[in-house]
Amino acid sequence: MKVTGTLVNYYFHCKRQCWLHANKINLEDNSEDVRIGKILHELRAEGNKNSEIAIESIKIDKLTPDYLIEHKKSDANIEAAKWQTLFYLKILKDKGIERKGKIQFDEKNKQEKTIIYVDLTEDIEKRLQELEQEIIDYCSSATPSPAILDKKCKRCAYYDYCYI
Amino acid sequence: MMGRSTKYLMSMGELKRKDHSLVFRNDKGNTYIPIEGIKEIYCLNEVSLNTKLFQFLSKAGVTVHFFDYHHQYCGTFYPKEQLVSGKLTVMQAQAYMNKRMDIAKAIVQGIAGNIHQVLYHYYKHDRKDLKPFLDWLRKDVPVYLAKDLDSKQVLFIEGEIWRKFYTSFSSFLPADFVMNKRVRRPPDNPMNALVSLGNSILYSKTVSQIYQTHLNQTISFLHEPSESRFSLSLDLCEVFKPIIVFRTIFENVNNRKLQVEKHFERKLNYCLLNKQGKEIFLSSLEERFNSVFQHPVLKRKVSYKTAIKLDAYKLIKLIVENKPFVPFSVKELK
Ligand code: SF4
Repeated sequence: MKVTGTLVNYYFHCKRQCWLHANKINLEDNSEDVRIGKILHELRAEGNKNSEIAIESIKIDKLTPDYLIEHKKSDANIEAAKWQTLFYLKILKDKGIERKGKIQFDEKNKQEKTIIYVDLTEDIEKRLQELEQEIIDYCSSATPSPAILDKKCKRCAYYDYCYI
Repeated sequence: MMGRSTKYLMSMGELKRKDHSLVFRNDKGNTYIPIEGIKEIYCLNEVSLNTKLFQFLSKAGVTVHFFDYHHQYCGTFYPKEQLVSGKLTVMQAQAYMNKRMDIAKAIVQGIAGNIHQVLYHYYKHDRKDLKPFLDWLRKDVPVYLAKDLDSKQVLFIEGEIWRKFYTSFSSFLPADFVMNKRVRRPPDNPMNALVSLGNSILYSKTVSQIYQTHLNQTISFLHEPSESRFSLSLDLCEVFKPIIVFRTIFENVNNRKLQVEKHFERKLNYCLLNKQGKEIFLSSLEERFNSVFQHPVLKRKVSYKTAIKLDAYKLIKLIVENKPFVPFSVKELK
């Protein structure tokens, strides 16, 4: 299997979510709003090429001469966003592209945007390598860890599946 | 007219794409159907469609179900993006090998429980002759199912439950709606016509709900996997028949909203709902699919249609995490 930024994010957010996603039991995008949004987007994009940059398995929101910029809709899990961005930085570095990471949390109801900067260090790179193996091992295990009801579950796409 | 996201096409016509909208053209003219609101289309008559339309429907994630003249289900058009999980498919096949009887029994128990609930209502309203059947459902069926059975024996018990259920209609329905015997292709009397159409719609709804999960539609447990292209739908729709299809039929018949003289077309060897009858029945069926109840576990309002998908989730949970499968029961809602 291939570790992706989303998986790294989920691994920090909730291991169970990471397992389900890695095993392609992905329940995202089920809500009506998302579906309608997707349809409209698809229809408008008919003919146009997608403007997102994709390198290998990663999709990058924006790349400037100094930064890789990652947008997040909420700052509910900063730790997860940090490791996801660091993971992207590492993939870019391996390709010879060195950048710093800038994470922007664009929350709807908040005036001020939180911005966080991250950068690779030797320790972090080492940790990322271990992390990748950890995620692979965990996701290859027979079953995910049981659901533990938590406030993060309220907004999770797996909520129905986990609690039914 | 009917449920927001479902469109029933009951007259002959042509369905086409027009810009970002669907147009249905029949002898009465054009009807525009905005694509954003639509999830499912049911073609209950001769409808012409072209590939351009299918490409459009595929992009918008719309499923289309086709029925023949006798309201028998013919097939489904699926949008291309399907949720697949190789791992889950493998585990589902393993569950078929190791847990088939557990799942089949759970479904049959679910049918018995839900029929009991539906009939109990009539028993309370003075249909005391239902008592022996109700007792049989409550006491005997679980005893039979606790035995070591093979799939034929489980299917036999299921068959008995339905047979006795059909016989019980005589104690609470008007005489002209009594069933006598279940006849499918084609239905021979008004009750069989209602059951055929109702079950076909429920079956297709279940196909659409399972489609929103990662389950493999061909691997079933109560029914033989070879039975149909979507045999898992046959399994998962069973426990909903009493609550969705039969409750809707009983209410329409007992309130005289559907009447033999007014709403059916009798021919020499078959009997079908006429146009008006179809409209009445399908809109009340759709209403029932969309009606909501407070879900005891999820603690929010859930529609019966969603309850079908939740049963699919429960099955995934059994397959992946070994959590015992208990299909939807009306009882737990009270
Ligand atoms: S609902 Fe909760 S336990 Fe389940 S995947 Fe989401 S965060 Fe994890």
